[in-house]
Amino acid sequence: MNQNTAIRTLLAFYTALFLAFLYGPFVVMAIISFQQGPEGGPQFPIIEWSTFWYQHVLGFAPPSRVAPLPIGEALTRSLTLAFATMVVSTVLGTLTAQAFRTQFKGSGFVFYLVVLGMMVPGVLLGLGMALVSSQFGIDRNWWSTAFVLHVVYTYPFAFLVMLAIFNRFDKSIEEAAWALGVPPGRTFRKITFPMIFPGVLSAMLFAFTLSYDEFPRTLFTGGREVTMPIAIYGTFAVEIHPNLFAFGVLTTLFSFALLTVYGVLMSASVRRARVRATGMQEDVA
Amino acid sequence: MMELIRLTKAYKGVPAVRDVSLVVQEDEYLTLLGPSGSGKTTLLRLLSGLEKPDAGQIHLNGEDVTYRPPYLRGLGIVQQNYALFPHLSVEDNVAFGLRYRLIDPVTDDSEVKRRVAETLELVGLTGFGGRMVGQISGGQKQRVSLARTLVTRPKICLLDEPLGALDANLRERMTVELRKIRATLGVTFLHVTGNETEALAMGDRMVVLDKGGIVQADRPDAIFSAPSDVRVARFVNTYNVLTGSGQDSVFRTADQLVSLPEEAHGREVGFYAIRQDSVEIDAAGTVPEPGRTSLQATYITSEFLGSRFIYIFRLPDGGVFEVERHLSHSDPVTYKGGETCSLSWNLADALVFDPSGAALETNAFKGAA
Repeated sequence: MNQNTAIRTLLAFYTALFLAFLYGPFVVMAIISFQQGPEGGPQFPIIEWSTFWYQHVLGFAPPSRVAPLPIGEALTRSLTLAFATMVVSTVLGTLTAQAFRTQFKGSGFVFYLVVLGMMVPGVLLGLGMALVSSQFGIDRNWWSTAFVLHVVYTYPFAFLVMLAIFNRFDKSIEEAAWALGVPPGRTFRKITFPMIFPGVLSAMLFAFTLSYDEFPRTLFTGGREVTMPIAIYGTFAVEIHPNLFAFGVLTTLFSFALLTVYGVLMSASVRRARVRATGMQEDVA
Repeated sequence: MMELIRLTKAYKGVPAVRDVSLVVQEDEYLTLLGPSGSGKTTLLRLLSGLEKPDAGQIHLNGEDVTYRPPYLRGLGIVQQNYALFPHLSVEDNVAFGLRYRLIDPVTDDSEVKRRVAETLELVGLTGFGGRMVGQISGGQKQRVSLARTLVTRPKICLLDEPLGALDANLRERMTVELRKIRATLGVTFLHVTGNETEALAMGDRMVVLDKGGIVQADRPDAIFSAPSDVRVARFVNTYNVLTGSGQDSVFRTADQLVSLPEEAHGREVGFYAIRQDSVEIDAAGTVPEPGRTSLQATYITSEFLGSRFIYIFRLPDGGVFEVERHLSHSDPVTYKGGETCSLSWNLADALVFDPSGAALETNAFKGAA
């Protein structure tokens, strides 16, 4: 009993430490984002609480010596790129995982070939792509060369998620549908896909966030029109102002919003089943 | 009518089904009995098109369908685990085949509803259509699975151990109901099972499978009373099978001699089988009457099964010998554990098999009485 309490205390301490390190930087960033502007810098103490840097990010602040963040277009680019990457990687990952459900010759080799995309260091891959494209005279753009690398990077994640999902999938359910006279394509749409949908959602989330955050691969292959992470990195080179932190807070809130959408979609099917279940319990009573 | 011609299938060199030839008739209840690993599930998968045979053919109403994909065969399969669609309601599960099949789908929704309701009524699930499949019991799932298949009016309905996951009570009820449902629709049922009672009780005809091959195919009563092979005698689980060797008029087993039926005199005998319910228990050393033979064995214990007792004896070589007594025929007798008894039976009831296991012709093909 005593030992139990000791272990519990230790684990609680460990968890607290973990959470502190996880959220600490963000909390500091959030506090400093409310620094007075434009004179207040990214350091303590807070001279005066204000929302100046938020207005600055959103372009409402009066012109000052601090240049506005060059983020408008970069943000659109990053979102577009992340969305396209998400769609392509999830479709590819799902199809590849589907292929891996049946043993085929060289499946082990193909597996490592796919997974290599997330193992190879991003800088190497980015540099390599840059070299190849200059060799063949291909223009580097966020929507071409960078997009390809984003897919190469996120596709293995989507693939692994779907592989795990299919691993637990009962094949006899599909076989039952075929035996009822329903061809495989229709079976996939009507039976398999609805059943693996939560997995597809997870794969999409992975692909989107990984692509949205991606730095080393994009740095070398994105071309002149930069994405969000590159744009932010660019501003570091000059001087850091709390507007960056304000922006960080805003994007984090955006990510949470995205996660919420994911959560809502995930639980929708569960809730639907539960509603039917309670409906049944009323029947019985 | 479905005809299997020398079907053979191996997995990684291990034969699962070998050289199976069988004709499945229209409008019959065919049971397929075999121990686990006898290839019965593989055979079912070959028939339904979920596996392709290495050799042999399957003909369905005269057409070669050996390599036809499952969704074009028009057969139904009811899986062991029911394999219901978990994200659909009972109603949608049953309607699935009608709505989405490639050949002759039913597009009129009211027609689908009508047929689904009709089939749910047939399997006794009226009013359950709106429930999710996660919210019904095992027995109900099994009915949904059956209804889902039957609503498509398959040419043959393949059932893979359909009662395997049900408890004994439900099992007995479904046994009766399956036969009734089948008779109502006139669909051929091919019912695979590892349970000999089920196979005997349900089939119009029964096929015994062992190690991927057919050992015997006949009416259940014929298989029961005249197993063509010692393996069949073992599967039906109502015979004491003695292993030994025949020497002219006697059979030596477990260091004892029992008489052989006259027809088996002088022939090579490897196995000797006697029904559990045609054995009498007497005091040790009782000399059997003419036409009977006996064996000495040690009483171990008895098992009460409601309408009957099973007395379990041990032979000197460690083998088990069971005697079944119906309470309607005789009152139960108490024996002391370790007591030696004389077990005797009518020679005419004995079945004998040659060393390879094939039955020798005797005239014992009759009931126990």
